[in-house]
Amino acid sequence: MRISTGQIFQQGLTAMLNQQTELVKTQQQISSGKKFTSPADDPVAAVQILNFERESNLLGQYINNAQTATSKLSSEESVLKGVTNVLQRVRELAVQGLNDTNTQSDRADIAQEIKQLNEELLSLANTKDASGNYLFSGFSSNIQPYTSVGASYAGDEGQRNIQVGPDVLIETNDPGSAIFEAEFTQTVVTDNAGPSSAALNITSIGVNNVISPTVTVSFATPDTLTISDGTNNAAVTPYVAGQSVVLSDLDVNFPELTLQLDGTLANGDSYTLETQTTPRNTVFSTVNAFADALIADSVGSNDSPNNGDFLTNISAVLETVIDTQAKIGARVNLVEQQETISEELSLSVQETLSGIQDLDIAEAISKLAFQSTALQAAQQTFSRVQSLSLFNYL
Amino acid sequence: MSLLTTGVSALNTSQSSLATTGYNISNVNTEGYNRQRVNQATLPANFEGTHYVGSGVTVGGIERLYDQFLAGQVRTFTSQQAQHEAFAGVAGQISSILGSSSSSLATGLEAFFNAANGVANDPTSIAARQVLLSEGESITNRFRTLDNQLTQIDAQLDSGLAATLSEINVLSRGIAELNIAISELNRGPGGQPNDLLDQRDQLINRLSEYVSVNTIEESTGSVSVFVGNGQALVIGSRQIDLQTRQDVSTDPPRLGIAYGPNAIDITAQISGGSLGGTLQVRGDVIDSARAELNALAAGLIDNVNTIQQQGVTLDGNVGSNFFGPVPPSTSVAGASTLFVAITNPRDIAAAFPAAVTTNSSATGTGTLEIDSIDTTPPLTLPLFGVGAEIQFTYDAANNQYTVTDGTNSTTIAYDPAVDSGKTVSLSAPFVGLTVKLSGVPEDSDQFTIGNNTAVGDNRNALALANLQSEKVLASGTQSFADAYDILISDVATRTNRADINRQTQQGLLDQVQVRFDSVSGVNLDEEAANLIRYQQAYQAASQIITVSNTVFNSLLAAL
Repeated sequence: MRISTGQIFQQGLTAMLNQQTELVKTQQQISSGKKFTSPADDPVAAVQILNFERESNLLGQYINNAQTATSKLSSEESVLKGVTNVLQRVRELAVQGLNDTNTQSDRADIAQEIKQLNEELLSLANTKDASGNYLFSGFSSNIQPYTSVGASYAGDEGQRNIQVGPDVLIETNDPGSAIFEAEFTQTVVTDNAGPSSAALNITSIGVNNVISPTVTVSFATPDTLTISDGTNNAAVTPYVAGQSVVLSDLDVNFPELTLQLDGTLANGDSYTLETQTTPRNTVFSTVNAFADALIADSVGSNDSPNNGDFLTNISAVLETVIDTQAKIGARVNLVEQQETISEELSLSVQETLSGIQDLDIAEAISKLAFQSTALQAAQQTFSRVQSLSLFNYL
Repeated sequence: MSLLTTGVSALNTSQSSLATTGYNISNVNTEGYNRQRVNQATLPANFEGTHYVGSGVTVGGIERLYDQFLAGQVRTFTSQQAQHEAFAGVAGQISSILGSSSSSLATGLEAFFNAANGVANDPTSIAARQVLLSEGESITNRFRTLDNQLTQIDAQLDSGLAATLSEINVLSRGIAELNIAISELNRGPGGQPNDLLDQRDQLINRLSEYVSVNTIEESTGSVSVFVGNGQALVIGSRQIDLQTRQDVSTDPPRLGIAYGPNAIDITAQISGGSLGGTLQVRGDVIDSARAELNALAAGLIDNVNTIQQQGVTLDGNVGSNFFGPVPPSTSVAGASTLFVAITNPRDIAAAFPAAVTTNSSATGTGTLEIDSIDTTPPLTLPLFGVGAEIQFTYDAANNQYTVTDGTNSTTIAYDPAVDSGKTVSLSAPFVGLTVKLSGVPEDSDQFTIGNNTAVGDNRNALALANLQSEKVLASGTQSFADAYDILISDVATRTNRADINRQTQQGLLDQVQVRFDSVSGVNLDEEAANLIRYQQAYQAASQIITVSNTVFNSLLAAL
């Protein structure tokens, strides 16, 4: 084919320009370390990069959230540790105080310490975090959960969740009502308004002391004491005022209680005994009532709940607290697990991302070397071809 | 005598050939020059009674070597290459803007939702709330900046379009003037004004860089040029202008193309060339990108505001709109008008307006949680009215909850053995709520949903943070990030395609240009050879005259 001179020139020039363009592109890639300079270079990769970057950001947020959750949970945990210690000390003191060898003044001293521990317990329940929010008042973090030992819970049952993974929400607080309140047991003696002003007193309590179903004790002249729990019945005859009756001796189905009727008995006197359980009572009022009873030296068998029942009640609270601690421990584990998962995922996302967008430097440099050789060749060819002309021989 | 005239004719013809060769050599670098060739022809022979004796040579004509078909192809591919180049240039600019991390919405959205997580983690922290507000501002800025950059590119295209149209008018006027000159000077084949033809072809080539053109050559030698679907720019000696016209149907208004004295809108008919590329990029990239951005902004306003309006602020009020504008505002919700409507960080609604309390007499392990507040925003507080509440009481015998708000009541079947984790929605006449039931409740266990204004509640902030990955756009098929991905990949794919097309057209153009040049281009070696050839012919012709002289002299000497 016939070729024009301009064409020879243009072709040589175009070849050089193209080589230069490629060379500069490789140079740009090497200096930025990335394969692409604009999304248009590879639209598919561009969207993948966006996706992975978002994934990486989201994982970063989960890790961040997990750290926040861990710090919140561990501060709650350390408060609850303190609560456990205080409750155990209260329990020890209570055991000591209930001991009948104590004089009233010994008991008053013990009561003083228990009251102080109760105040400490109250202040633990009213712990605030660094930003001044109450830890144990649910969502109402600006409201003091327990304003005094006698007050009831002022917060709510809200539990703040923190998202530590896709669809993984972790509760980072527990309402005070689920920690500082527990089932409250006491033995209640009801005078069924008999004709006389006699009284039923419990003098001794055995191990098997839960009165359920309720037990009715009634007196009939001349001297019969009837005891019934609705199914089982027993009678003591003759019965005189002040005489001790061991219920479990009368019938094995009765609770292990020793009781007596004091005063002048009259026909139709009747009393109901029952173990009453309140689903919830604050530990502060329980402890406070016990301390007051200690001061008054009225912690005997007849003084439920401020006798052995108190130990049951304080144990119930302890159990709630320990339960909560266990829950927190489980949550911390879950958070840590989730954090590890997020970190590992984040690492692999970073690797994938780097595989998509980062340049293989070795490959790029060898490409650069190849391209500069090609450019040199194009330049040499150009000058060689341009020097050929018939006019040189004219 | 005839030998002398023959020699002279040969001398003249060789001179013309030498001159043309020289002309070719001198124009080797002239753009648009097509090589010329002298067609030599014998002179009419003289009849000498019985035979004809040749009488010499003459210039039959000077021909321009030019292939009409290849020239047409060069124009077609020039138009297409220019169109894709214009498109790829602008689209590439836009995809870089959308993809750059400093202006990208992707990073802005991430930062915004990260800040929402911050509020969820610490709902009473004013600092965390302030960060959310600032990130909200930053995302509105990003929207505005992107939209602004797109409209600016649009405006630049407008001014480019005006300049292109006046350039087209200059070119078509030049073609019309050359038409007049050519039809006057045209002397038929071999006698055409070659240089004027070259100039005219050159003008048509330049015209085809701006817009795709069709040409028809008339018998007079003039060429008519058409654009679009038959709008004549040049008919013979007449030329018709293209003008700009203001198109107010778009926001902001922009320029279109009007034809002729009646200013007929032919914007839609124009294709090819940089003009066609500009019009195409405006429609395919700028308009669709702006529409996507506006949809994204409207979606953000709508969804964030809905959540915000279902929540309670730090001061115990119903959340107000986070982003504006919203009706009845006169400005339309979009990327350019987006703004943050609240200024006080306390006004971020992080809390739910309702809370559950488990009655203290409950003995089972059943729980009830509020999943979402479904009442159409904005809410009125207190949600259930003053002192009112909804009570759920479990009826173990019938495996159901009895629900009452004091006036209305209903039942919800709940079998602890199979239904744990069940979500149930309450609707009118109840306050709209979705609750999640789980665990094993005992008979007559009671839950109460009542009004809540607790400051430490983060449930609504969690709902806001969740919006990041929820598919809330395009009828629940795309998340915000998905929508932005689609926008970027759309522009990037178009840019990429235009770039590939540009390369293809460039390759085709190069090929056809090679073929065109192989017909019309000057080759210096060839001209050098011709130079020698015609020089030798000239020298030989001189010898004819010498011989003729010698012959004449010997005749004289014989006398």
